[in-house]
Amino acid sequence: MKLRLNLTLWYRTMYSRAWVRVRSTYGEPLWVAVNLAVPLLSSLAMALLYSSTGLSKFAGFAILGGVMLAFWGNVLWSMASQFNWDKEVGIFEIYLISPAPISAVLVGMSLGGILATVPSAALVTIIGWFFFPTPINPSWTVVLLTFVLTLASLYALGMLLSSLYLAYGREAESLNNAIGEAINLLSGLYFPAIGAGSPFPFAVQIVASLIPLTIGMDALRKAVFQTGNVSSVWFDLALLAVMAMVLLFLGDKALKALEERGRRQGTLVVRLK
Amino acid sequence: MRLLKSIVASAWMGWQREMEWTNPILSLFIKTVAPTAAVLSAAIVYWFGSSSAGLFTPERLAYIIVGASIYGQVAAYAYVPTSAIAEGKWSNLYPQVYITPTSSIPYLAGRCLASFADSAPVIVISLFVSYYVSSALFGAVPLIYFSFDSVVMLAGTLIVSLPAALALGYLLGSYSVFVSRFEWALPSYVSGLLMIFSEALFPANVLPYPFSLIPGVLPFTYLMRASRAALIYQSWSLYLTSMGYLALGGTLFLATGVIAFNLAEKLARKRGFIDKKVM
Repeated sequence: MKLRLNLTLWYRTMYSRAWVRVRSTYGEPLWVAVNLAVPLLSSLAMALLYSSTGLSKFAGFAILGGVMLAFWGNVLWSMASQFNWDKEVGIFEIYLISPAPISAVLVGMSLGGILATVPSAALVTIIGWFFFPTPINPSWTVVLLTFVLTLASLYALGMLLSSLYLAYGREAESLNNAIGEAINLLSGLYFPAIGAGSPFPFAVQIVASLIPLTIGMDALRKAVFQTGNVSSVWFDLALLAVMAMVLLFLGDKALKALEERGRRQGTLVVRLK
Repeated sequence: MRLLKSIVASAWMGWQREMEWTNPILSLFIKTVAPTAAVLSAAIVYWFGSSSAGLFTPERLAYIIVGASIYGQVAAYAYVPTSAIAEGKWSNLYPQVYITPTSSIPYLAGRCLASFADSAPVIVISLFVSYYVSSALFGAVPLIYFSFDSVVMLAGTLIVSLPAALALGYLLGSYSVFVSRFEWALPSYVSGLLMIFSEALFPANVLPYPFSLIPGVLPFTYLMRASRAALIYQSWSLYLTSMGYLALGGTLFLATGVIAFNLAEKLARKRGFIDKKVM
């Protein structure tokens, strides 16, 4: 009975948090235009750069990078720093004193964030492929599976970061700026960062492989542009699934540890440090 | 004198906001990471595409490294008015600046100068780091000359680009006084469009007609050309021509920006937007 009540509460919390995020985007279509700017213009610039080198067939890599940049941007700015902003405006303390499980709030934020980013990502795809039609060779089932697992591990990383950012104050914004572009580079958002074609030394490739976006981009490029069968990406998919589970576990542990520390030190709702 | 004091005070405020939130050395390091990573991303995209096509050249690599590094400065200016005005409305700072005897014009000028002061070293560091990392990654040294003359020429270019930077600040400031939501939208579009249309990564002829005409009317294009003339081509004639266009275009652009900002500020006062937080 108690377990059922807990599950119901968890589900309702998750649904409510996801609903707020979805409603805020779809109820205000301008949000789509706002979220579109960086991924669209960055991917078009990179696609033009590929075209200027004489190999426009690689422009598709840039467009795919733009699609994933929309989700990665959402993870950074609407997941990782969200609790920090919630703390600034006084919502976080309401989460804490309510019986709602924080893990459900995080999962709801993720699902809502994914649904809210879909229109921007779709527009990057449509506009990108309109200007740079690139030959593709996908198996859509494999693409979908790869995409879902990439998002699962990315948003699990977002949950871990959002827990860690609770320890920070206003510096979260600067850290986000630095982390965002560095991960774009290391994960090979617009070019292969691991394996054949990577410009990085082996040691850097190993470090880059610890980032879910690196594995996800590598698998998506294979699934969309190359052979398109599951045998070429099964290892990436297994790795993404493991990463998602490990990051979820670490996020939950980090959140509990930082919440406990914040309660003891009385810094959990301190707004400016 | 009072105008100068206002500009210096707001430049100091901008510096505090951008650099003093932590140890300034750490702050400078953190600020350098993103532009350097962005320059290296562009360099790798070029290397990956051109080496697959058998068209890789160190000259073109240098072209991209210099352009992408200087673009970091231009992009930094695009976000100044949002931070100074839109964010200032939330913190109640901007309405207080507005009611002071000097107008918001020197306030925005000071914030732009602060942005110049904190982004110039960032650009220089990212240029050096990208140069050495690219050399190591691609096994080809980008043809960039770091002689005394070329560094002085680059410094001159950055200084002459200030009117254009201020103009961008005032034009985007005209938007910022009216918004209380989506304040990052226009700066994001403007900085993204400048990446495409200011020859930051590729020459204008890569763009389809009539888009290829746009870079010719943007002062920031001449900032890129003058910087490349200083660091890559070592050509005084190209440098001076580009500097002339940059100074002329920047001045015209600045006059337009100041007029637009004055009009916007008056209209915003009449309609009560100066301290409006949510529309």
